[in-house]
Amino acid sequence: MAHRGFGLARVGLLQRLSTFLTMSKKTIMEFSRYPVAFVATFAQVFLIILMFLFAAFAFTTPGSELAQGRQIAGVMVYGLIIQLFLSFTLWEVGFSVREEQIRGTLESLYMSPASRFGSLISRIFAILLWTSVMAVFAVLLVSLLVNGLPTANFLLAMVVLLFTIFGLMGLGLLMAAITIRLKESAQFLVSFLQFFFIIFAAMFFPFGVLPDVMVDYVSRYLPVAYSVDAFRSLLLGLPAGFPELLPLTQEILIIVLFGILAPPVSYLLYKEVERRARIQGTLGEY
Amino acid sequence: MAVEKLGLTRMSRRSNLDIVWTVFKARILIISRYRGSLFLETLIPLVFAALPILIGLSVAGGDAAASANFNRQVGTPDYRLYMLLGAVTFVVVSIMLWIVGFWIRREMEMGTLEAMYLAPAKRLYLVSGIATYAFLRSLIAFAIALGVGSLVFGVNPFQGEIALATAFLFVGLIPLWGLAFLFGAFILKVKEANSVVNSAQWVVSFFMGVFFPIAFFPPFLQWVALSFPPTWMNNGVRAALQDLAFFFGTWYFDLAVLFVFAAVVPFLGYSFFLRTEHHMKKNEGVGQY
Repeated sequence: MAHRGFGLARVGLLQRLSTFLTMSKKTIMEFSRYPVAFVATFAQVFLIILMFLFAAFAFTTPGSELAQGRQIAGVMVYGLIIQLFLSFTLWEVGFSVREEQIRGTLESLYMSPASRFGSLISRIFAILLWTSVMAVFAVLLVSLLVNGLPTANFLLAMVVLLFTIFGLMGLGLLMAAITIRLKESAQFLVSFLQFFFIIFAAMFFPFGVLPDVMVDYVSRYLPVAYSVDAFRSLLLGLPAGFPELLPLTQEILIIVLFGILAPPVSYLLYKEVERRARIQGTLGEY
Repeated sequence: MAVEKLGLTRMSRRSNLDIVWTVFKARILIISRYRGSLFLETLIPLVFAALPILIGLSVAGGDAAASANFNRQVGTPDYRLYMLLGAVTFVVVSIMLWIVGFWIRREMEMGTLEAMYLAPAKRLYLVSGIATYAFLRSLIAFAIALGVGSLVFGVNPFQGEIALATAFLFVGLIPLWGLAFLFGAFILKVKEANSVVNSAQWVVSFFMGVFFPIAFFPPFLQWVALSFPPTWMNNGVRAALQDLAFFFGTWYFDLAVLFVFAAVVPFLGYSFFLRTEHHMKKNEGVGQY
């Protein structure tokens, strides 16, 4: 029997998969229509890296060792990778709801029997691909600039990255729920969150340079901070003083729990917010 | 006799000023509904300044070493003020570009751009309204961010030649109008505003030397940076307040260059905007989304 309210449509696994694939295709096609955006985003990553390296150069002691430079570059570029995934997830998954509202297509999309979960996470497909390519190029560029970056414990670092991405998907869904409530103001929140995580999850510098009070009362409560810490500590080969927040096993446990729990919890929250918006008739409100 | 194509409409100087004022008022009304953006404009320069400061501390290994190394490389030990000034000047530039770019894109998305083009109001006055609004908003953001940033980073911005720094800031804002037109034309053409604006922000901050002096660049990049008006504005403000070197050694030569930019860039920018617009109207139309 079809689900109540869906007419003759069958909301089975196959239909969900089909929605996901169709929406992913649509997202990739949308991306491909804006080639300048591709190039611009790509250039942006290189500029960020170059700018921070120049900034770091202003503070160097003449004749400082290359190994130290490599470690600092590693701290920055590996943090940047998590930042890229975070940024894309927040904007493309979280704020995409707003784009549909602006275009006036959100309500019609929700009136169709297609899986809403599928439509939300479909954007991830294209984004993951694109962000991964950028991350690889970012690592290659910095590697070239500092004559090789440390890439120790690669497989374990990838596992950490994978669970981090799942967790970030949860954050994206949470952001989508908030966007339905806040509407236009959500973009300020997304921007704010980006900056918040850059500082409090110490994405471009070690946690050691943050004041203790910030680390103890904010950073230690952010799963993303553990992701950044564990990911770069592993790739840097666990040098003395890394990871900085907790022993590695505990950090990995937190990251795994973040990756497993964040998506379903956030999706439930999203469904509740969406249900209320539909009852109030504010879903497509612009 | 009415101007051709305007029917019975008479576009007097007063009605033109009225267009500028109406657009300006509309933008103020809209932004008053989104107070979060004002908060964000204060936050962005703080984060922007905090990043190189924290990176610097980690590279140097402490405040004293960071200060000494920065003094050796840049010429001032007060690296916190240096970064803060760069960040707040960057926010001024960013707001000017961002507002014009996004305004065009938003009108496209909402389907009102073509309708606006059909109205008898000249685009110059519409864009002037937007640019005036951006001018005011960027100055407010500059003042708030500098005030809050000074408290957060524990620096005193009221040192050196304040009047000269203010002159560099105000004269530097004029060519930004021209750059905003250029940027608007680019958005009109490529359509995708989000990523372009995001990337442009980094391009701008890179070339205007927000975090470091452009002397760090290889010669070719130094020339590129020097052909960009915000670089002169940023360096002028810093040099006046922190007793750093002007590009030409003396403030009046640097200010003169900025005056030349102020005289030329707005006309260049607006002509380019009109050309792009004309080209699009002849081909695909400006409302294509």
